[in-house]
Amino acid sequence: MAALMGVRACFSALQLSSPSLLHSSFRLCAVPLSHRTFATVVKKTFSRDKPHVNVGTIGHVDHGKTTLTAAITKVLADAGGANYKKYEDIDNAPEEKARGITINASHVEYSTANRHYAHTDCPGHADYVKNMITGTAQMDGCILVVAGTDGQMPQTREHLLLARQIGVEHVVVFINKADAVEDKEMLELVEIEIRELLTEFGYDGENTPVVIGSALCALENREPELGVNAVMKLLEIVDSYVPLPKRELDKPFLLPIEGVFSIPGRGTVVSGTLERGVIKKGDDCEFVGHNRCLKSVVTAIEMFHKSLDQAEGGDNLGALVRGLKREDVRRGMVMCKPGSIMPHQKVQAQVYILSKEEGGRHKPILTNYMPIMYSLTWDMTCRIALPSGKDMVMPGEDTPLNLTLRQPMVLEQGQRFTLRDGKQTIGTGLVTEILTFTDEDQCNWG
Amino acid sequence: MSLTFLFRTVTRDAAKVGLSQHVQLLHSGCHLRAADKALLMKLRKSTGYTFINCKKALEKFDNDVTQAESWLQEQAQKEGWSKAHKLEGRKAKDGLIGLFVRDQAAVMVEVNCETDFVARNEKFQQLVKNVAFATLAHHLNKTQTQASYIKSVMQGEELNKLSVGEGSSLADQVALTIGRLGENMSLKRAVTVGVPPEWQIASYVHGDVSCHNEMAMGRYGALIIFQGGKEEEREALGRKLGQHVVGEAPLSLGNMDDLPCGESETRLLSQTFLGDPSRTVAEFLRGKQARVLDFVRFHCGEVASEKAE
Repeated sequence: MAALMGVRACFSALQLSSPSLLHSSFRLCAVPLSHRTFATVVKKTFSRDKPHVNVGTIGHVDHGKTTLTAAITKVLADAGGANYKKYEDIDNAPEEKARGITINASHVEYSTANRHYAHTDCPGHADYVKNMITGTAQMDGCILVVAGTDGQMPQTREHLLLARQIGVEHVVVFINKADAVEDKEMLELVEIEIRELLTEFGYDGENTPVVIGSALCALENREPELGVNAVMKLLEIVDSYVPLPKRELDKPFLLPIEGVFSIPGRGTVVSGTLERGVIKKGDDCEFVGHNRCLKSVVTAIEMFHKSLDQAEGGDNLGALVRGLKREDVRRGMVMCKPGSIMPHQKVQAQVYILSKEEGGRHKPILTNYMPIMYSLTWDMTCRIALPSGKDMVMPGEDTPLNLTLRQPMVLEQGQRFTLRDGKQTIGTGLVTEILTFTDEDQCNWG
Repeated sequence: MSLTFLFRTVTRDAAKVGLSQHVQLLHSGCHLRAADKALLMKLRKSTGYTFINCKKALEKFDNDVTQAESWLQEQAQKEGWSKAHKLEGRKAKDGLIGLFVRDQAAVMVEVNCETDFVARNEKFQQLVKNVAFATLAHHLNKTQTQASYIKSVMQGEELNKLSVGEGSSLADQVALTIGRLGENMSLKRAVTVGVPPEWQIASYVHGDVSCHNEMAMGRYGALIIFQGGKEEEREALGRKLGQHVVGEAPLSLGNMDDLPCGESETRLLSQTFLGDPSRTVAEFLRGKQARVLDFVRFHCGEVASEKAE
């Protein structure tokens, strides 16, 4: 009897790896795999031995943002944690294209003893906002650079407003150009002033770390107290003050469904790329979206025809689920840890509307415009409502918007999406707030 | 005994004012230093000039705040010019369009700066406002009578020479603001219009960021000169037309009877109306019994980017 059971299990395992499942996972993985091997031949390998954190500098043009960035790479290059980048290399922020959007930004990487950092420096407000929306380099913390000779410039307010807007919660202050200030008490006044300003903008001004130094000294190897040591101190503080972002693996699992298959003799298999978290065999799961909500249990997980006990974020997998018919589940729904994510019909979002040069519309967007919203694996018609006081949005601008979906779909704060109309991508956005759907939002969808 | 007590209280007070421990260490002249610092803080708060300059000013005039302030202002003008010369080559393609309408005259100006951080700044907006008012004053001086339609376009050089009273020119003002904000700026262009009494001027500014109530400032601006329409509807009508001009960017006016030629239409009257896609602008105007006579559209930075191409 036991032998019979064993044979049966083998047979079903074979069945699970049906050609369609095989095909889809192979196609999705073939390209990145070959790409990766290619990269190792030509370039240095990136070793992931330290946790990664994204930081950036804000502050006025002449206050030494770029000089500080250059100084950090120089100081760390001496310690073996970076490649020294000259001021000129960083200064001309190259135009880059992320998701078809042109952003002026320069990226520098370096690592301290404990962490690996990606450092972003943008010239304008709009560039930082685009950066946030597209998610090219979400900043976990930022360094506000203020010149000790000037104190806060009139624009420093704008910079803090920006930091608030793009959701940076941890700010470290670097008072630069201390070598040009003879009177040390003046630096204290600058510090007092900046703390007041931080408090005014809702940051913890009292306890925000402030480092006094001179990036130029660090670059020119003068006055180590203000130069190299101050930069090292700044980095130590950034290490300890900016917390590590929550790892994707620690979050409840989320699998946007790409395909559903029915395997004779076994049941229903859903496939997709695990967005985040960890799935184990035997986990309870919930299917949400398209006006449905079903509970089930994951009975088997497979990747490349091999069954495994658990899958991690980023894995492309097929999951066998108990007690569901193929018709119950469809592409666009998500499989998630029960209760971890909900469908919503109305959200507020920060959206960037592509300019004509980037392939977007040449006409402005008005309230009641109805594009199609794409996020995870679903797409749904939605209706746009501009914030009060705005009559229209021109291409190339970023704006907050209210979006009402025709049907509730899985949405959460921080989720990214794309807006398209016909064959044209018109914008990309980030959900900032979930709003409650009221009867007034009901409308004729045509 | 009482003497020591007195001394202690004085030191403690001084320490409070000074907000630092250094004062306690420097016994001699601790009063002066503390007062110095409070003054420095006050001067910096009230004028907004850099710490280093405020300190210089106080030292120069022996802590006389009024004299220090006027010296700072003089100095700012000088520093502004030197800074302006230093930054001359830097590209300034961000900025604001400022728009002001009064009775039968209107002015629209474009002032450029380097980044949008500065464009949001109050001081920069003050500059835009000054430029607009100076241009309008110049226009009103030149044209005493308002009998006919007058439209005059001015470019950067001309604008720089306009005076703003007391012998200083707009160029001086720009330099002053450059000194304060530390970015290159330039006066790009301005247009002023004057219309006869029976005509109307409508305006629309997109992306209004202004913190001054009397003037609208944004990245796009449009002036529309039109005639007719019902008295009470004129404001809404003008606003809709302005929105259309900003949004659809027409290049020419066209004729009321022109046939529209699709999506790429650049003649205003033949374009599909933004507020009501089922009609053209001409049809919309007929419905309202109005007539558009002229329009001007500014998009901030458009001239600069055209040149670059």
